[in-house]
Amino acid sequence: MRSCCFNTTPSFLAVLLSASILPGCEVDGGDNLPRVTDQGLFMYAEANRHLDEDDAEIAAAVYKDGVPVDLVGGDVFEASTTTERVLLKDRGLVTGSYAALLPVDDSVQEVFFNIVHAPIEAREDRWYPVDLVYIDPGPGELVGKSAVVSFPPAVSINGPGEDTVFTSIGDIIDLSWAAVAAGDTMRALAAVECTNGLAASSYGTVVEIGEDDGYEAIGMDKFIYDANAGSSTIKFVTDAALMLLQELLNDLSAGAIDPDFVLRSIDANPIESACEIRLFLQRQRNGVFDVTFDDGTVVGSRSAEVTVKYVPLVLAD
Amino acid sequence: MRHMASSSRSLCAIAIMWMSAVTHAENMQVDGNLLLTSLDAGGNDDFKSGNAIAINYNYDLKAWLAADVGLLITGKTLEESGKDVVGDYRANIRTQALLLGIKPRRRFQSPYEVFGRLGLQLWRTELEVEEYFGEGIPEGADSEKDTGYGYYLSIGGAHYVTDRVLVQLEFRHFKQLDVFQGKTAYPFDLAINALSLGVGYRF
Repeated sequence: MRSCCFNTTPSFLAVLLSASILPGCEVDGGDNLPRVTDQGLFMYAEANRHLDEDDAEIAAAVYKDGVPVDLVGGDVFEASTTTERVLLKDRGLVTGSYAALLPVDDSVQEVFFNIVHAPIEAREDRWYPVDLVYIDPGPGELVGKSAVVSFPPAVSINGPGEDTVFTSIGDIIDLSWAAVAAGDTMRALAAVECTNGLAASSYGTVVEIGEDDGYEAIGMDKFIYDANAGSSTIKFVTDAALMLLQELLNDLSAGAIDPDFVLRSIDANPIESACEIRLFLQRQRNGVFDVTFDDGTVVGSRSAEVTVKYVPLVLAD
Repeated sequence: MRHMASSSRSLCAIAIMWMSAVTHAENMQVDGNLLLTSLDAGGNDDFKSGNAIAINYNYDLKAWLAADVGLLITGKTLEESGKDVVGDYRANIRTQALLLGIKPRRRFQSPYEVFGRLGLQLWRTELEVEEYFGEGIPEGADSEKDTGYGYYLSIGGAHYVTDRVLVQLEFRHFKQLDVFQGKTAYPFDLAINALSLGVGYRF
């Protein structure tokens, strides 16, 4: 089981935000980016359908020698099913990626990714007549490359129950789901929002589960961390500095400033805060990418979610 | 080219009318105006403020009503740069318009006057877009012109410095309808709002 933490906002692909290292978390401190190779052409593509929603979240990117390739001049990712088609014109949450929503229903089994040259359609969000006034540099070298992913079976979470409360980062979440022995892999993603009454913080974590066997015991410390973990000296100095800053502001404002201004301005420490954890369980199925790519991470996935709460004992009392 | 010839003929007609009128100069007004403009093409455009000049000729039909003939010329009005999946881009617009309408006016005992304008415009508008795609990919600019009809209206006030010389402040609204209609799947209406400061001379 491998996990990592990153800042996030609560939606599924938002949970795929770029990572940041969070102290005190039982994590590897890495990121959630696809494992891009340092050399050669790398394809990243992902299509996820959350619950039975009518849209799948689509994201794709190409990396050359480890660096994201900007598709410009009308070259753009196209994601399609047998009946629907979208261009990925928005920036995705994974570095260098593009994203869009693709309408899907239960009959949709596969999503096809293609890099196409669509100079007019790619400009359609501009206000002026883009079919009349435009510069077309012609198709780039990536046009024509493709990948295909298929959706695995839907995810059904059996436990924990909705709004189950945990009080310690030593607690274990017994995550169970209806297993499907189809060779797919599982991972859990969490969007965490915490508040201590004065300040708030939000971030995301990823826990790689692996086998689709229907059960995983995950420590609460995979989702809740202590921002003050580490050197007690540094914590002492930091607290003193914040106190001095508040006093300075009090003096400068002749007492007019909020006495909790500094405390409100810093992120809430999750371990000392009440947190809501939206736990997404995702079943992933590897797809196929164009043979002209040297490597790639191409997956179709389905996901479901359950919300649990972390309320430290000091607050619960 | 045909349009330019047409515009030239219209300008000549205005000039001849003006010269003819000046020859029998009475019951008329000529004014020149500087405009601070704001363009709105109705979509997610984001134009910077621009400037323009307007020349108007008025012939009094009644004490409270004059015929209004004019010419509007804007400078190149730039849009803020934009960026999307295609690349960086920036559009600009410049336009000229012949104006023909009426000008109701009310002069008070004091050296002040309030007035409005309402009429039709024949416009000629050029849209230019510059695009940049990044290193190694050819960049460039493309442009198109169109002509059409629209309307204009305004409201303003004037202060008579002497019996014949006046300064005027005016808020103007020009609307060009269906710009590039018939040439594109994405036509638009162009609105030009302007604060206008001018000097007039009454004959």
